[in-house]
Amino acid sequence: MHAPAFDPLSESFARNPYAAYAQLRDLTEPFYYADVDSWMLTKAADVEAVALNKTMLRSRDHLLSEADRKAEQRKMNWHDMPHHERFVQTNLLESEGETHARLRKLVFREFTAAMIARQRATIQAFVDHLLDELNACDTFDFVEDFAAHVPGHIIGRVIGVPDADCPQLRIWSEQVVRFFNVGCDDTDKQVAEQATKEFYEYLLTLVEARRKAPAEDLMSRMVEHRDAGRMTEDELVATTMLILMAGHGSTIDVLGSGMHALLRFPDQHQKLREDPGLINLAVQEMFRFESPLPYFHRFATEETEVGGRVFPAGTRFGLLYGAANRDPARFDNADRFDVTRSPNRHIAFGGGTHFCLGNHLARLDMDVIFTTLNQRFACIELVREPIYKPGLSVRGPVSLDIAVRRR
Amino acid sequence: MTRITFIEADGTTIEAMAKPGMSVMQVAVNAGIAAIAAECGGACACGTCHCYVAEDWADKITPAGEDEADMLDFVIDPTATSRLSCQIAVTPEMDGLVIHIPSSQT
Repeated sequence: MHAPAFDPLSESFARNPYAAYAQLRDLTEPFYYADVDSWMLTKAADVEAVALNKTMLRSRDHLLSEADRKAEQRKMNWHDMPHHERFVQTNLLESEGETHARLRKLVFREFTAAMIARQRATIQAFVDHLLDELNACDTFDFVEDFAAHVPGHIIGRVIGVPDADCPQLRIWSEQVVRFFNVGCDDTDKQVAEQATKEFYEYLLTLVEARRKAPAEDLMSRMVEHRDAGRMTEDELVATTMLILMAGHGSTIDVLGSGMHALLRFPDQHQKLREDPGLINLAVQEMFRFESPLPYFHRFATEETEVGGRVFPAGTRFGLLYGAANRDPARFDNADRFDVTRSPNRHIAFGGGTHFCLGNHLARLDMDVIFTTLNQRFACIELVREPIYKPGLSVRGPVSLDIAVRRR
Repeated sequence: MTRITFIEADGTTIEAMAKPGMSVMQVAVNAGIAAIAAECGGACACGTCHCYVAEDWADKITPAGEDEADMLDFVIDPTATSRLSCQIAVTPEMDGLVIHIPSSQT
């Protein structure tokens, strides 16, 4: 079979990446995508096997010589950006082994289901406040007028960022994250470096503030870890940045695509309205159906067979979670949005040691939001079909205009 | 093959046959037990494959390692026989093992 045209920057891919993913899934072997020098995996079994394989690493920098690391960095155009290299290219997500285990352990407690459950009242109060402000509107942009404000505000509270600073943190986060998408250029690079620098300088002042006056928040506990020698100051800054960046965009994206899915499948929305207890399953299905971070990568550190082909050490694999989560070999009626799907063993949060730290927080944000919307509004309708963001690394609508009728 | 009996929170009993080397989590997932979420897939990174080993079996299987013990601090409703099922490797000696499943992992 000929390799299909694979153009993640195209309009048709943004509209429906799942048709392209299905074509790749039908190939007998993984697909080589030259633009990112990666073998793309689309079958759930292959993606899961690589995510869980301990010889496959997210980062192999620690295994490379300094010269090779620099060459690799240049190939990705990630060089000559000192702050980005120091705080974004090196962090919990990009680390492995002992460093990864140590850093993850230091912050894991704050993100367990039990700790996150304490945020429910905060989320509810903020969601109610936002919806009260929209009370005069019969139509609004669900993404920009509403959803975009929630995750950053809540993750800001968890960390200990003053509410008033959260909008700026979202801007920096998006500027840094955008640079990881395919097709970015030197302008994006400069913007990402400048944003990282400003983000760093801001966090330094917050670290000092918490050192002088500790509070009941993650930043204060990380300052304790720093002062006890359990993490360095750079690790503290990089971990905070990572948590803030991860806590913004992807939840906003899946809130938008999740709302869109409910509107595209009104019978499923009705089921959820009639049985609000389905919310946990519905939220998991939103993550499966439109995985907000559809593409991650791993490096093979030894020769490995994947998807019926043997690959040498050093191979870079693209893990297309968005494709794996629509694999009919794993999911019945994979292209159908089903709020009762159980078990729902999707891989939208990744797998293995890098499994999404913030998954409980994202799910709680969504639980509160969709439950509250269904309580407040007797009817929600789509005003126009949304346009989804282009590219491979993120998936979510740019905007989502809806019309509402209150109870 | 090793026979493992899972008892779900509502009392439903499911018997499954396991090959040595599989984890108890994999056996439960293959048997369709939804309450073993096992979200990270078995990397001891999420704490959502929590189970209770039947008391008369608790001393007969290899105890939890350091990483598992750390993670068990964070599970819902832990008891003295709490384990992460992804960290229990099935051996032929486990034939007849009984595992109780919590109602929810979150």
